[in-house]
Amino acid sequence: MRRGSTATACVALFTACLTLTACGSSGSSGTTAPSEGGSAAAGGGKVGIDFPRADTDFWNSYNKYVPQMATELGIDLMPPTNSQNDVAKLVSNVQALTSQGAKAIVMAPQDTGAIATTLDQLDSKKIPVVTVDTRPDKGKTFMVVRADNRAYGEKACKFLGDQLKGKGKVVEFQGSLSSVNGRDRSEAFAECMKANYPGITVFAEPTEWEGTKASAALQTRLTQHPDINGIYMQAGGAFLAPTLQLLKSKNLIVPPTDPKHIFIVSNDGIPQELKAIREGQIDATVSQPADTYAKWALFYAKAALEGKTFAPGATDHDSTIVDVGGGRLEDQLPAPLVTKDNVDDPNLWGNQVK
Amino acid sequence: MTETTVASPGSPGGSPDKAPPPGGGHNGLGLARFRDLALVPAILVLIVVGALIEPAFLSADNLTNVLQQQTELSLLVLAEAIILIAGKFDLSLESTVGLAPALGVALVIPAASNGLGTDLPVALGVPICLLIGMLVGAFNALLILRFKLSAFIVTLGMLIVLRGLQIGFTGGQNLFALPESFLYLGNARWLGLPASVWICAVAYAAGIVTLGYFRHGRAVYAIGGNADAARAAGVRTDRVMWTVFVVAGLLAALAGLLMTGRLGSVAAAQGDGMIFTVFAAAVIGGISLDGGKGTLFGALCGVLVLGLINNILTLAGVSAQWIQAIYGGIILIALMLARLTTGKAQD
Repeated sequence: MRRGSTATACVALFTACLTLTACGSSGSSGTTAPSEGGSAAAGGGKVGIDFPRADTDFWNSYNKYVPQMATELGIDLMPPTNSQNDVAKLVSNVQALTSQGAKAIVMAPQDTGAIATTLDQLDSKKIPVVTVDTRPDKGKTFMVVRADNRAYGEKACKFLGDQLKGKGKVVEFQGSLSSVNGRDRSEAFAECMKANYPGITVFAEPTEWEGTKASAALQTRLTQHPDINGIYMQAGGAFLAPTLQLLKSKNLIVPPTDPKHIFIVSNDGIPQELKAIREGQIDATVSQPADTYAKWALFYAKAALEGKTFAPGATDHDSTIVDVGGGRLEDQLPAPLVTKDNVDDPNLWGNQVK
Repeated sequence: MTETTVASPGSPGGSPDKAPPPGGGHNGLGLARFRDLALVPAILVLIVVGALIEPAFLSADNLTNVLQQQTELSLLVLAEAIILIAGKFDLSLESTVGLAPALGVALVIPAASNGLGTDLPVALGVPICLLIGMLVGAFNALLILRFKLSAFIVTLGMLIVLRGLQIGFTGGQNLFALPESFLYLGNARWLGLPASVWICAVAYAAGIVTLGYFRHGRAVYAIGGNADAARAAGVRTDRVMWTVFVVAGLLAALAGLLMTGRLGSVAAAQGDGMIFTVFAAAVIGGISLDGGKGTLFGALCGVLVLGLINNILTLAGVSAQWIQAIYGGIILIALMLARLTTGKAQD
């Protein structure tokens, strides 16, 4: 009897935890108040938007920009939903949005595979979809608004390679390989290093975007190879503080002129990274454009409602629309490399956040 | 009279308290000792393998790293192990790891750094953090013991609520601007070893001695073995359980504090998903999910096994695609090794 009930409890624990890993990571907040800006909806029809999560600095900034940009563009925006990094929640949120009358959907599916059937359903209802940040592996989308994540990896590789003059040992904190962004950055970084800087040894550390894992890996690696002189972190929001804290405890934060200096390149462009660049703690970051993500995602949603179409080629906002196969279009927004020279540029989103 | 049934067996093995089956008592005592050491062969094998793969593995620096990286996990496992031995569950520990330091920090830092704007004296930050852990534990105990709700569901709900609270009042931001007091314990070195390692060593020593040799500690085994029998034998079960939950909350807050110091920030997802590893370490270490069985030393061995595996995989540079499969595989092998060396069926 007792044994039986405990066994059931164990099974329940396991299943509960499986579902919890995703929803445990992020609570329900950050969904800002419904925007009232777009009563004069130009193209007709409401735009539904789902936020992927509200527990990272980057996505919080994006979430703040969305209602603001909707007002500027005169879009009738529905109250945003938050899928807490969980594709199952995203699917139900999208269903709720469509049943409430959304005529176009903006989403940022972090699981790029499992969203395919939802896209098919939306397509059959003739609801155009704009995805932000990620490109679904399959399914119809009106436009993908995304920074070129391969360029992140390449920019980081070139910066490190030039600073190290093609020689040295570099630790790379890989994002989750199950996300397209983590994969793109990792692959591009590896290819570029191999092709251009064969003298640099790269230690790729799997981290699943977790700071604890990155810190443990770096600590271990520094003991094994005390002469490591470069770090590439694929997400500043997750890795910046753990890395700096560890280097501080090892007295390894020294100016670039010191031979012991470790060159650090990050990705994201959150305010803390910009601060660290100003203070000389890290050397560069690639600023992921939270503001233009919001702006152009909504722009394309509106354009879809108005029946506009787009063709591959250069755009009027320094980006390129690329046909990524099967007629699917992707607007690859520029993501600037930020170093000490341009860290005070007021156009960087990290400088606009309070 | 009543105390003798509960407190007299000096062995920390635990099984004598679990109403030994007729005739099996003597044998059980001997095997209980083995269960304690079941993972030692696996640890030795891992150390040999690590040394073969990478000479740097055996360096004092590296072994210290392994210990330091496991300190937060080991405190959580200590907390969970005591609760499991008492026959209950606490899933909410992982959220306390994030909430307690986040709230402690947010109450003392200025609003400009994502604080709450209360600007309490900085010296109060750490005590508040620990107090929150204890309050969470007490609240769990209230729902489970006083209102007789299922420990599993209550703490599952708390896991979600606490994480949600943290994200709610920090607005999902990571807290970067930390006062020195929060960084101290995670970074300081005492007598050549990280302070966090000393803290864990003391916590485990205290736990092992209390559960093995003191009346209230033995009562935890008695309650986990059979709560009704324990109550009939004169153990104040509710009072012991309240203490267990509050101590567990305190340990979780302490783990959060150490992690905050080591990582230099309070991430919005701090501790997220840790409860998996906590249960893995506890169960690998021989803590029974049925309650009443297992030792804290065994649980500590479980933590060390997981830490060594992680360290060796990093040193060996296993590729990201394969690391999880290999990690899980090695855990299974370690369990089989433990089964072979003790010859005792596991549950």
